Amino acid sequence: MNKKAGPMFYVFLVVFVFLVMFPFLWMLASSIKPLSELFGDRAFNPFTSNPTLQNYVSVFVDYPFMRYLWNSTVVATITTVYTVLVASFAAYAIARLNFKGKPIILGVVLSVSMFPQVATISPIYIFLKNLGLTNSYLGLIIPYTTITLPLSIWLLVTFFRKIPFDLEEAARIDGASLWQTYWKVIMPLAVPGIFTTAILVFIAAWNEFLFALTINTADKFKTVPVGIALFQGQYTIPWGEISAATVVVTVPLVIMVLIFQRRIVSGLTSGSVKE
Amino acid sequence: MQTEIDPKEPIKVEKRPKKKKKNDSVVGYLLVAPALILILAISIWPVIQSFYFSLFDLQLNEPTKSEVHLDYQIDLDRYLQNFPFLVGAIDSEIDKGNSSEELTTIKSTLENLDEGIKEKPEAQENYDTINAKLDNFENIPADMKYIEIEEDVAQEFTTSVKEINADLRTINENGNLEQGDKIVGLSSALTEIVVEPNFVGFEHYKENLTDQRMWRSLWNTSVFTFISVLAELILGLAIALLINKAFLGRGLIRASILIPWAIPTAVAALMWKFLYDGQNGIVAKLFEDVGLVDRMAMLLTTDTGAMFSVIFADVWKTTPYMALLLLAGLQTISGSLYEAASIDGANKWKQFVTITLPLLKSSLLVALLFRTLDAFRVFDLIYVLTGGGPANSTETISMYAYTLMFKQTNFGEGSAISVVVFICVAIISGIFIKLLGSDLIKDGSGK
Repeated sequence: MNKKAGPMFYVFLVVFVFLVMFPFLWMLASSIKPLSELFGDRAFNPFTSNPTLQNYVSVFVDYPFMRYLWNSTVVATITTVYTVLVASFAAYAIARLNFKGKPIILGVVLSVSMFPQVATISPIYIFLKNLGLTNSYLGLIIPYTTITLPLSIWLLVTFFRKIPFDLEEAARIDGASLWQTYWKVIMPLAVPGIFTTAILVFIAAWNEFLFALTINTADKFKTVPVGIALFQGQYTIPWGEISAATVVVTVPLVIMVLIFQRRIVSGLTSGSVKE
Repeated sequence: MQTEIDPKEPIKVEKRPKKKKKNDSVVGYLLVAPALILILAISIWPVIQSFYFSLFDLQLNEPTKSEVHLDYQIDLDRYLQNFPFLVGAIDSEIDKGNSSEELTTIKSTLENLDEGIKEKPEAQENYDTINAKLDNFENIPADMKYIEIEEDVAQEFTTSVKEINADLRTINENGNLEQGDKIVGLSSALTEIVVEPNFVGFEHYKENLTDQRMWRSLWNTSVFTFISVLAELILGLAIALLINKAFLGRGLIRASILIPWAIPTAVAALMWKFLYDGQNGIVAKLFEDVGLVDRMAMLLTTDTGAMFSVIFADVWKTTPYMALLLLAGLQTISGSLYEAASIDGANKWKQFVTITLPLLKSSLLVALLFRTLDAFRVFDLIYVLTGGGPANSTETISMYAYTLMFKQTNFGEGSAISVVVFICVAIISGIFIKLLGSDLIKDGSGK
């Protein structure tokens, strides 16, 4: 399907991108409005004549937003590193080694990735509470394994399988041990796949909400999604600050997506497409 | 290394294949083990435990029900704060000759019951320690508070204490006791110290099956899942077909498509809440101008409006993802098929039905499976956007389970609901996997 795109097509694209981006652009426009222009008739005016950074200042001064960002970063980073490490061993074995029961293991991994989080939350909560791990980083890293481990095994198996088997055979015939083959031959070739997996795992951990909401209830340990969601007070909703906070968390994501889009797409679509 | 290998070289080569295979499986299991253990401990075990908890009346904020127990227990702490004083008070009444006959019988019954509690040696030990601690006004450690007792002892205890309580009440009403109210109070307290096992069997399931709220939330979840996934599928497929061609700025399109997917759902929900706002929301205003709603405020304050808003936000967030998955599927279809078809005179629609759809089937089903499961367990979008309201009209099954567990601290019933969610998800995946056949696992293998 290598049809050439006509001018109408580009018009369509522009409209499409605008629609997709509209909510975000509106938040961006609202985030620099002074309070008086967020309400009433002027609320529907996309541009303000008195731009202000007050909302951004307020997000960091009046709310422990820096703390939320730090918490999310710590939790998502540790989760990513440890899950991808554990998953890479398992995925390597499943993809490259011969042993019985591989389809069953893959089946288990796949079914676990379909588990609804709500089905595991009550025992996990009680378990963490009894250990005194609620309101701690570990209290989130442990349950995040449910989500991230099956995901990373699944992705990594696909990536490992794409590496030609001949290389490994050659290395083994040359007398390299399994460990050497893994580190010196497979790993360097698998780096792109591992990196892709890490991005997806990081995003999944960063965005997680249910566990974060229930397990870490103290402000000191809240993550970004929960922190922002609970900005809304009992009677008033500080839309200015919320817009600013939304922009602050979205801009790094946009940059990350722009840089890594090719990888993310390959990760998202692997396993769902026959090659 | 080389020097060592030299003499044995030929033998080794012969042996290698066999040895390698055996070695492989040991290493294989070793490498898979950590991941499997984690999955077992953090995913599978909790699901089993959820089911176990759902058979109990488990309420975190009620001390007697905050743990699962299958046996009868006695709250020793509470018992020892009442029993000695009751006996003491009765003694002093007897000394003064007030209804001494009845009171003496009551006292001996009480002492018999006390012996019954102390029957087991470990119980005696706890009994004494707690007594000593109470005398010194120390705190009682939680693990010592409760001791197990036999069912018959517990039942005998409860019935006799109730009788005693009733007797003391009558004696008090006849008015010949000095500290009558105190004695009655202490004896009433004794009726509450037996902790019954909180095993309820399938009671929670029975209640839920007849509970309107649970059916309503299940219905809401199904409506949400069906409509949003269908809309996402149609729109996603249309977009994928449209952008499946060579054009400038592909990367930019791909990136902008990924942004809604990458934003945390909670943040996206909050954005939409702002856009839907009844007074200041731009999208609400646009919908009103177009005539989709009569008044802006209707979006989030009416049943249908709220459901529509939630679905619309979900479609915004996940259609791009769907389009990406389908686009990847489309790109694996060779262009020569279409050329051949058009030479044969097949029109666009015919090409779509006879080439695109069949070849896209497995991508389509996989995308549908993941989206359906995701939509079915929806939580954060609704929690932030509508909070399940107005009047529970957008409460999904996950929201309901959350409310039961964390708002009402009713973990037993909440676990029952989460088991229901689990079963639904299992049924949905079962259906899809049946449709997919073994494709799913094979797909992962990349052949």
